[in-house]
Amino acid sequence: MRIFRNLTQALHGLLLNKGNTFLMTLGVMIGIASLTVIVAIGEGTKAKVLNRIASLGFGPDSFSVYSGAGRLFFGRSRNTTSMTLQDADDIRAMPNVRMVIPRQRTRMKIIHKKDFTTTRIYGVTPEWRSARQWVITDGIFFGDADMERKRKVIVLGATPARKLFGDKDPLGKKVRVGQVFFEVIGLLEKKGLTESGYDPDDRTLIPLTTSMSRLLRKSHLHSLKVVAMSPELVEETMDGVTQVLRHNHGLSSLADDDFRFITPEGIMQWVTESEQAMNRMLLLISTVSLLVGGIVIMNILLVSIRERIHEIGIRRCFGARRSDITQQFLFESVFVSLLGGGLGIALGLGLSVALQQSTFIPAKITWEPFALAFGFSMIVGLVFGIHPARKAAWLNPDETLR
Amino acid sequence: MSIIEIDSIYKTYQDEGVETEVLKGISMTVEEGDYISIVGPSGAGKSTLMTILGCLAQPTSGTYLLDGVEVEQLNDQQLSRVRNEKIGFVFQAFHLLPGVSAFDNVMMPLLYCHTSPEGAAERVERALERIGLGHRLNHTPGQLSGGEQQRVTIARSLINDPKILFADEPTGNLDSKNGAEIMATFDQLNAEGRTIIVITHDPSVAKHARRILTLRDGRIESDQTNENFQKSHTSSARAAAE
Repeated sequence: MRIFRNLTQALHGLLLNKGNTFLMTLGVMIGIASLTVIVAIGEGTKAKVLNRIASLGFGPDSFSVYSGAGRLFFGRSRNTTSMTLQDADDIRAMPNVRMVIPRQRTRMKIIHKKDFTTTRIYGVTPEWRSARQWVITDGIFFGDADMERKRKVIVLGATPARKLFGDKDPLGKKVRVGQVFFEVIGLLEKKGLTESGYDPDDRTLIPLTTSMSRLLRKSHLHSLKVVAMSPELVEETMDGVTQVLRHNHGLSSLADDDFRFITPEGIMQWVTESEQAMNRMLLLISTVSLLVGGIVIMNILLVSIRERIHEIGIRRCFGARRSDITQQFLFESVFVSLLGGGLGIALGLGLSVALQQSTFIPAKITWEPFALAFGFSMIVGLVFGIHPARKAAWLNPDETLR
Repeated sequence: MSIIEIDSIYKTYQDEGVETEVLKGISMTVEEGDYISIVGPSGAGKSTLMTILGCLAQPTSGTYLLDGVEVEQLNDQQLSRVRNEKIGFVFQAFHLLPGVSAFDNVMMPLLYCHTSPEGAAERVERALERIGLGHRLNHTPGQLSGGEQQRVTIARSLINDPKILFADEPTGNLDSKNGAEIMATFDQLNAEGRTIIVITHDPSVAKHARRILTLRDGRIESDQTNENFQKSHTSSARAAAE
């Protein structure tokens, strides 16, 4: 078969022009490798976001209200001070509301003797435990009496407990946060790292009143968690909460809300949107990297045709048709693309695995980008090989031999 | 029967808008088994004439009958087949595929055959043995001497048993001993009945032919038998000497 003979000639050609073959392969390889790595990072980030959401501990009947205008986790202002305990009380008084947990939040260094770690510190009310349904493995959670007396007690998550105390029992020990000494009264059950590396155990809890008057020394809240009587009432309750907060904060009808809701639906919608944006970005990057690989092939083939103009002429002299020359160069470009694609996939896989092992960039390996990359590398070879191949075939045989 | 018949062949090259008329109305006939030298000063159009006769380029105007076929009417596929089956080329610069073994170089025309020939490998081996390179099948052109390379190109041009052999300055890159050997090969091939057309400006090469065509400025200046050419040549040389 003529086509097989042209294929063999193409392989011979690639072997003879090792330098060019290497450069073309490299071009495709880098394109494909970067494509697969970028997709892995994209998927990893997506997984991390989803995990983060899962770790927020929303039930279908609950939502959060964060202080400050903005959307979801992205507050426009970090120092909105309008949300107070009065808001929490007013919302609690609404008929559809089962529970309201006001929260303060900060991130500070927590110290025990010579050991310290930086962790999230939440000031919450005793209802927190039943709302989150988080088990206390050791000791107790603080109660109303602790709230009333603004007692300096703290419940540790598994991560700060391990970092400060190792194997020792932290119960009854003192830890210092800022200038305040707290007594450890309870330990939260360990939940473990999520797939993407988010650590839900990296937190501590203190009574809200203690947080307000002793630690942060301010009365405004970071957020409220609201649990409605039933999932169907969530939307209605949110409308009520909006009215209460706007009234309490003295907002005119023209002013924007100075608070924002975080709901499971809102998050899902945001995730979908960001996923779409991410996919568009990945598509763009993949197109660019494949385009780069293709242009590398085309340029090198064009240069290679200049170098091999005699070879083309000789073949034409001895009976090669235009189609034979076209096929030969097209096979070369497709073969190089497939080789580069294969090597790129191997490199990309290696890099993705390395990223997955390290924790500083999230990466998730899925098979789709690799399959796609391989398919696309063949298309790249065909598309970007056609121009040089046709150019080679349409050279006049007499001119090529001068 | 004439194997080549050309009538009023013109060839004009266009280079950056400048037209150069290289062939200005060439008509000639070549009989099967002929042995022709085409001589003339450089720029006379010898090589251009060969590319047209060898079906590597089409004339701007004029007709060309090759073995009874009108070459102008052929498409690329048919022309490629004609070059593959009826014509062999030997070049001054050898034009072997670099980096490719002597065996594969001689094999190359067989790759482009209409039907893949049986026993191709044996044919190639025999062809290389006949020219005394049976022991160097796997040598690349870079590992062969000039004379050996030219012998490989002859083996390549003959592998498909073409009717006509074109040679463009076949001895131009060879020393006189190797040149003489190559010409002896041509003489023998012609004796076996093959039509041979040699382009040269070297009188000692030209004199191997039976018929000598002199080209000057794109036209045929003279078309003589070897004997007459020698006579006129020596008389003009004598005249110049006197």
